[in-house]
Amino acid sequence: MKKAMDRVVDTVDIETYLLCKNESEGKRLALQLGEDLNLGTVDIMFQEFDGYGIRVRLRKYIHKPGKHYAWLKPEEYSDKG
Amino acid sequence: MAKKILCVPLDPVHDVGLKLIRSALDERGYTTVLLSPDLSLEAISKKAASDDYDFILVSRTIGYGVAEILGRFIDLLDASGVREKSKLILGGKAITPELAAELGFDKGFGEHMQIDELIAYIEGRERDIVVDRLQREKKDIAEGYSYRFVHAEIEELLSDICDKLLQWTESRHSAGVERAKIREELINAGENGKRESLYKKYNSHCDSEITNGNTKNIYPTGVRNVSQEELSALEGYISTTHPHAPVTIQHNQDRPLIFKFLGSGCPIMDLVHGKIVERWGINGFLIINPSWEARYEGLLQGCLTHENDGTITSLENIKLMKQYLDPSTLLTVRAHRGLNTPETVLLAGAAGADLTKINLVYGSLGAGTDPERLAVDGVEAIRYAARYNMPFDIPGNDELSGVPAWKTLAGLLINVMLGKKLGAKPILKPLFCYGPHIVLNGMMDQNFVDFNAAKIYALRQIVDCPIWPGEPIAFMTQSEERVQAANATSYHAALAASLGVDVVTIASTDEAYSRGPIAIASRIDTIRAVTDAYRFMGDAQISPTGQADLFTEDMIKKIIEVLKEVQSKTSLAEAIYEGALGNEEDGAYPGTFGKGTLTAASAKI
Repeated sequence: MKKAMDRVVDTVDIETYLLCKNESEGKRLALQLGEDLNLGTVDIMFQEFDGYGIRVRLRKYIHKPGKHYAWLKPEEYSDKG
Repeated sequence: MAKKILCVPLDPVHDVGLKLIRSALDERGYTTVLLSPDLSLEAISKKAASDDYDFILVSRTIGYGVAEILGRFIDLLDASGVREKSKLILGGKAITPELAAELGFDKGFGEHMQIDELIAYIEGRERDIVVDRLQREKKDIAEGYSYRFVHAEIEELLSDICDKLLQWTESRHSAGVERAKIREELINAGENGKRESLYKKYNSHCDSEITNGNTKNIYPTGVRNVSQEELSALEGYISTTHPHAPVTIQHNQDRPLIFKFLGSGCPIMDLVHGKIVERWGINGFLIINPSWEARYEGLLQGCLTHENDGTITSLENIKLMKQYLDPSTLLTVRAHRGLNTPETVLLAGAAGADLTKINLVYGSLGAGTDPERLAVDGVEAIRYAARYNMPFDIPGNDELSGVPAWKTLAGLLINVMLGKKLGAKPILKPLFCYGPHIVLNGMMDQNFVDFNAAKIYALRQIVDCPIWPGEPIAFMTQSEERVQAANATSYHAALAASLGVDVVTIASTDEAYSRGPIAIASRIDTIRAVTDAYRFMGDAQISPTGQADLFTEDMIKKIIEVLKEVQSKTSLAEAIYEGALGNEEDGAYPGTFGKGTLTAASAKI
């Protein structure tokens, strides 16, 4: 079965809200979320703690420019089924 | 005989969608009956059984408990015999074909259903071919502009400044100008034996970093050749994909055209992004080159990819873009920063690009080129732009360093006059931004409308020239928060449309995020936001306050003061060195790349 991750053009971004006591706990949880989702180390693009929790935007680059892209393999684009 | 259709709005409130569908069906000659939205399931069932309907078209938004209601409705239709004589169609938000089938309907349509899909189903045929290519024409941004100056005093000042500049450059020459000439010979030489000696000559005018790349394939860090396999795969990918139901961003009007940057470093990634956002309605792209490209004498050759920001502006890379982007899509190539300005414009023209980007003033400030060097190279570059009939846009991004808007606009106007004198088609590119000078002086404390509008008003009172706010619009108003970034872009785009400008460049919702390349999903975010803003605005206008007129008056007065100071210097370069168009206090410094490299025009380089 083909991997969905191979079809990601560039990034996986996650937006969510994590309940936490303060900003540093929120950031720790955000980074842990990336690990829990098997994305490895994610980058926190945006964070905003509001007293109850933290609104975060996380990013993981799957295919960076200049590298070799899994989606560019002929078997990927020629059989989209 | 015309088919008979019973339209059933099961939703207690929203039956507007069904009314629209009914109207479309009536227009096509079907016999339709529309029930009122407040009937009980039993009453609807009775009505459905009372006549021989070919189709029962039910509209309902899915929500809590709705599946049960629809299930009960199907049971009633079964019991009354309707199920046997009529086909049942379910439509509405959150409906999918699978859900409709699960509930017992013959067919289901979601909120994005097109009327021709429904009609094809009713008529028992395949849907007409869906539009799967862009159906638009390439626009000429400069078309219809006279380049006539309407402000006599400013025209006179600019004319004098530019005459002096042209006279000053006549006696000077640079390696950048020389390389462009050699490159032009190379392009025209075809495959004859002269090429080798021309390459040798070209390389003798390059820095070793470039010569090593071009002769030994030893490239700057992160640069490599795109392989033949990758190019074949790109060809395969692009030839087997197409845009589905392409979108037009503009609503009710042709302009402004919407541009985006491309410059991920990799032409393949750029093209895949480009093809996707073409479908979302983007009209053109600006290729942004790596910052190091500006520092070296000479340009790398070949189809090259780069692991950091900025796509290498080789002839082959630009040609690749032109080959695969839609013929209606405009392409502009940044040329004005660095030591390769004339050659970059030449390559853009030879590769079939539509526009280029030159500003002798901004290109000489900050981390830019030495003002004397860019004066010589810039004039030659504008000559190439004229020869290839490529309009050139003049970005006013020096404002981001803290330069006051009137100094930036004065710089843009010098370029306009220069372009006019050299037979080119300049495009003014004032910033729509929350620049440092604006912040420090509170010019946008009340709103983001008046001061941006004043720039456009002032320029229009000076010259009849296309205007393209950039670059990108909303600069320094966007955060890393996705919704805020999309909103800020759409508000500025709405203002641009309201002011009747020709083009805008928009960023993505990850523009303020500086730790990685732009992502395709973030590109689409802002396009969607702008499309919605244009749908919302239509032909309506954002109305600046009276303060915009006061800003305009003041802006024109200060532009004149700046131009008088520039005129008092012996050359444009001297004016830039001495800070007339942005000084240290403003946060602007004359560029240093290529300082002391000019030679006398008569001397052989």
